[in-house]
Amino acid sequence: MLNRLVRWSRIKSPWILHLNSGACNACDIEIVAALTPRFDLERFGVLLKATPRHADVIICTGPVTRQIKDRILRIYEQVPDPKFVVAVGACAMSGCVYRGAYNILGGIDQVIPVDAYVPGCPSRPDAIMDGVVKLLGKL
Amino acid sequence: MTDSEIIEKAKALLGGRALEVANPTLRRIFITVAPGDLAAAVTALRDHLGFFYLATISGVDDKDDYEILYHFGNKDACLNVRTRIPKAAPRIASITPVIPGAILYERELQDMFGIIVENIPDPRPLVLPEDWPAGNFPLRKDWKFERPVEKIPGGKA
Amino acid sequence: MKVTIPIGPQHPALKEPISLRMTVDGEVIKDADLRLGYNHRGLEKLAEQKTWVQNIYLTERICGICSHSHTTCFVQGVEKLMELDPPKRGLYIRTLVAELERVHSHLLWLGVAGHEAGFDSFFMYTWRDREVVMDLLEIISGNRVHYAINTLGGVRRDIDEAQRAKILGSLDTLKKRTEYYLMIGANEPSFVARLSRVGYLSKEDAIALCAVGPTARASGITQDVRKDDPYAVYGETPFEVATADSCDVLGRTVVRVKELLQSYNIIEFLMKNLPNGPISVKAPRRAKPNEVVSRYEAPRGENIHYIRSNGTDKPERLKVRAPTLGNYAATIKMLKNGFIADIPLIFAAIDPCICCAERAVKVVDARSGEERTLRFSELRRMAGRRFEKVSQKRNAVWPF
Repeated sequence: MLNRLVRWSRIKSPWILHLNSGACNACDIEIVAALTPRFDLERFGVLLKATPRHADVIICTGPVTRQIKDRILRIYEQVPDPKFVVAVGACAMSGCVYRGAYNILGGIDQVIPVDAYVPGCPSRPDAIMDGVVKLLGKL
Repeated sequence: MTDSEIIEKAKALLGGRALEVANPTLRRIFITVAPGDLAAAVTALRDHLGFFYLATISGVDDKDDYEILYHFGNKDACLNVRTRIPKAAPRIASITPVIPGAILYERELQDMFGIIVENIPDPRPLVLPEDWPAGNFPLRKDWKFERPVEKIPGGKA
Repeated sequence: MKVTIPIGPQHPALKEPISLRMTVDGEVIKDADLRLGYNHRGLEKLAEQKTWVQNIYLTERICGICSHSHTTCFVQGVEKLMELDPPKRGLYIRTLVAELERVHSHLLWLGVAGHEAGFDSFFMYTWRDREVVMDLLEIISGNRVHYAINTLGGVRRDIDEAQRAKILGSLDTLKKRTEYYLMIGANEPSFVARLSRVGYLSKEDAIALCAVGPTARASGITQDVRKDDPYAVYGETPFEVATADSCDVLGRTVVRVKELLQSYNIIEFLMKNLPNGPISVKAPRRAKPNEVVSRYEAPRGENIHYIRSNGTDKPERLKVRAPTLGNYAATIKMLKNGFIADIPLIFAAIDPCICCAERAVKVVDARSGEERTLRFSELRRMAGRRFEKVSQKRNAVWPF
């Protein structure tokens, strides 16, 4: 019973941590634009949190550069279970145009396990919302 | 001032130090100096011609030497000062005593090409990661890179 | 007594990762140092392996907020290398998208400045208006960001009458709303007082450290590539360079609002005088060996590309210097003798674009060696509390 309550509250109000691993910022601006009055994620109970320890869902953008790889791992470990990772944008999926550069390792899934991929360059705010909602629907 | 006036004044200021002067398009002037005359040339251009704004420093890997370009700008034109240093002895003096804002660009030059900038106030690497193996300078033409094999989650290894 | 604070690379409200190390004495910053590289993607080496047309898409993704500035700077340079002459209508459309991008970038910045100063409703208002501009850009080019409207020799898409009418109509809405923000700014003394005398950069320092863009213009330097080195159709478009004299964050805000109003006038001029004709010319595959320096006034400052070709269809060398890098040396100067609580505002005031964001300030107390991590939201609250306690009321006036 308590488990069902906890699961319901987790689905109904996910708290998000936004992680940028060397991206061009287009996807990041679209994520922040999803909070503005036009698309308004906050009506779904989604809050953008500052610290990994409060978050349920990690939203990652950007191809992984060598320098930030350890930081991503550290932040991933700091997020308490159960956690979900959403890779937003073509860079986070596979590296987009940067594949082959010497400082890029590829998509986010080379470093941490990913649960949902949202394509686009950059992904529209509605697509990001759709991705997060679909992920929560799977729970 | 028009381009030709700037070129006349620059030639007068630098005298024999200006090895080549070119004006390929409107508002673009390229002057070649020897590496030893660089600081004196930059000081003269800053004080007498009003080129105190340094836009950036570019390095180019030409076959046997490195070409370093200093891009200056002002209201009338964009003046580019070029020097060449041999690959066998890649050293150049820093111009931060003359233009303090050049520090970041010189650090990047050190990182990317391995050019040693003498008397640089702050020699730390600028953009390369901390665990970058020493002696690897990415923008040299002979530096090749092997892409690591990607692991595809849930797929063939 | 010195305390060293590393500001590390993960942030709540804003975007990019960069690391700053501050040496602090009490609450005053004595020294600052920055660590770049989290965003270093090795683009210059990658550009040598791709053709000219592929490089347009690569340079576009250097930055997401000012993507058009990088492609236009690159394409202008390559057109000079290939000796192409794009037709007038193509140049007008290119300038139109450039000015629309400047509008959206400044509205974004105003929202961020409001957010960092604690004025969240301002943030929501400006970003709502930004959506009007994003709609216009989507109608013109098909995407909200990364428009891909440039090609070698001109632009890829044309504007028809209905789009032109819509652009002119939306301009009226935007003008009214921007004037409303002006009024808020002028009549909201706490907002103005929060911004004034923060992040002081004198004119001599700005010149010596080679600052660019609104950061330099707020210190009284009249430097704008659109006037000094006109490209596209800026030579024929009437506008003024916006400057301010207060050398602080308030001056930078004023400069950006003035630029917004100038941009509306420029867009109106462009739409009313759009010439007829083709929008692009055909470009060859290869470029003769040559070199070119291309400059562009991005919303954040001067963008400079140096391109060299060697006769093949790939560039020999592409060097990009984005405007924020030019402002870093000036930022460090601004941070010295500032307060810890002003860090978010000072950093936001240079409008950091690529590789800029940090946001976990780790405070290391040098006396005892213990570490404390402060988040930027905590810094913001600290700023609010300290601001209330400031005994002298700073009499700041909106200088417009």
